[in-house]
Amino acid sequence: MRWLAALLVLLAAAAPRAELLDFSADEIARIVRHGPWPPTVAADPSNRVSGKQDAIGLGRALFFDARLSPDKAFACVSCHDPDKAWSDGRATSMGRTALPRNAPSLLDVRQRRWFGWDGGHDNLWSMSLRPILDAREIGGSTAGIADLVRTDRNLSACYARAFGREPGAVEAEALAIDAAKALAAFQETLTSPRTPFDDFRDALARGDKAEAAKLPVAAQRGVRLFVGRGNCAFCHLGPAFTNGEFHSIGIPFFVAGGADGGRHSGIRTLRESRLTLLGSWNDDPVRADGIATRHVDPQHRNFGEFRVPSLRMAARSAPYMHNGSLATLADVVRHYARFDPERLHGDGEAILKPLGLDDAEIDDLVAFLESLSAEPPPTDRRACG
Amino acid sequence: MRSAATSLVLLLASSHAIACEPPSLEPARRIDGAKHVVLFRSAPTPLPLNASFALDIAVCAKDGSAVATPKVDAWMPAHRHGMNYRPSLTETRKGLFRADGLLLHMPGRWEFVFEVAGERLTATHDID
Ligand code: HEC
Ligand code: HEC
Repeated sequence: MRWLAALLVLLAAAAPRAELLDFSADEIARIVRHGPWPPTVAADPSNRVSGKQDAIGLGRALFFDARLSPDKAFACVSCHDPDKAWSDGRATSMGRTALPRNAPSLLDVRQRRWFGWDGGHDNLWSMSLRPILDAREIGGSTAGIADLVRTDRNLSACYARAFGREPGAVEAEALAIDAAKALAAFQETLTSPRTPFDDFRDALARGDKAEAAKLPVAAQRGVRLFVGRGNCAFCHLGPAFTNGEFHSIGIPFFVAGGADGGRHSGIRTLRESRLTLLGSWNDDPVRADGIATRHVDPQHRNFGEFRVPSLRMAARSAPYMHNGSLATLADVVRHYARFDPERLHGDGEAILKPLGLDDAEIDDLVAFLESLSAEPPPTDRRACG
Repeated sequence: MRSAATSLVLLLASSHAIACEPPSLEPARRIDGAKHVVLFRSAPTPLPLNASFALDIAVCAKDGSAVATPKVDAWMPAHRHGMNYRPSLTETRKGLFRADGLLLHMPGRWEFVFEVAGERLTATHDID
């Protein structure tokens, strides 16, 4: 009988102890705001094929198709790899020439207000056309896109089903923009999965302590820092862990031959573009979604500001920041922990200050950030048709 | 009797300078400034965090003069920055304005600033 008792003690010690920290009502309210996940998202009113299966199929086919580039060297998937959370694993992307920025993950891209690190685009279809035409990236042309969609039997049939007209009857620019809208429809289906954090958050919301206690205690301590002393949730807010706006957190923005103006140049790009929500390519006759574009107001501080990234699946999309300058999540947290306000130019964010986190607290924040990732569903690579 | 009438007229005139009633807006928050009264209400109410909203604003001048279109802004005193958007204003009827395109992109304490004919009227708003 003595041996049985000893065995039980041993077993109890080996099993991980489920423990729930004594979260206050205020902390629980703050945590609950980072859900539920996934959110319901509506079709994009600026894109008449948003959410349509035929267009999604066409967009998927184009996304993986290197024939968009004149020498068949590049496709979207070259820099947005499903096995790397739809980014490329490099600090900065390598196209035909080196690009100055890190390729962001395309997960949850339907939920963005601004696209690109500088928000130079206000809709997903114009953001999707740019890399095809950019000489540094795919290096194609509107004529090339039109030619491909008109001459490939499969793509041509897909196009006709998705848009209700024959590609031969559509002039090249309109056809290229339609192709970009199909690419957008496909990317809208890329959503990040539910994560251990989401189970924890939902359990807290319904008062299920046993279930909430399943999140490892280190990650729980990390959540507490994230919504509390770390001030992280001021910018990384809501279910997507971003306000979608632009801030500077003191990441250097010098690049070969100058500086990356960040939001400052993004607003310029936006104002010069014909493909914004305020233009005639927006399929929504009332242009209701154009409200942010119509009212965006340039500020001196925009120089060197970059879009706040989502933190979902971040553990799978290293390296980090607009220039990929931080290799691991631990490096990112150390950056915030040792933050030096002197490094911020101009009138920086007053909420960013040295956090005085010790090594154990840094590990806790990393454990929490890791709890925002999970195994994604298998990638659907079926061509259209 | 004449003098009583005069003082009554004077009294009415001066009380007119102390208060005014803007076009009605219900429910609304009220700011009483030295020279103006501002009522404002968000659409939608309660106003959302990190999404565009509008403010309906009713204004009157205590000296009875016609009110020009106010300027509207919002900022976070503790963070030392404002919005990334500049609202557009339209007069919907006399003394009643709509400010479109505001967006509060961070939780915390914001301050709305209404500038009416050179007078600054402010109201704080906490959002989380
Ligand atoms: C050579 C590498 C490369 C290729 C090829 C490429 N991209 Fe990108 N992509 C990037 C980089 C780098 C960025 C960041 C750009 C910026 O911030 O200015 C980006 C940004 C984006 C974004 C914005 C995401 C967000 O969160 O704002 C979308 C959408 C996108 N790419 C879609 C595409 C599509 C669709 C294709 C194919 C037509 C494509 N990309 C091809 C490197 C690439
Ligand atoms: C003032 C707003 C703000 C606050 C507060 C803030 N962040 Fe960030 N965060 C950003 C911005 C902006 C970037 C991108 C900066 C760049 O690329 O130059 C970023 C980048 C990141 C990244 C990299 C993600 C990626 O995919 O590249 C992580 C991880 C992150 N933050 C975590 C945190 C944590 C943890 C905290 C709290 C300790 C925090 N942030 C506080 C604005 C903020």
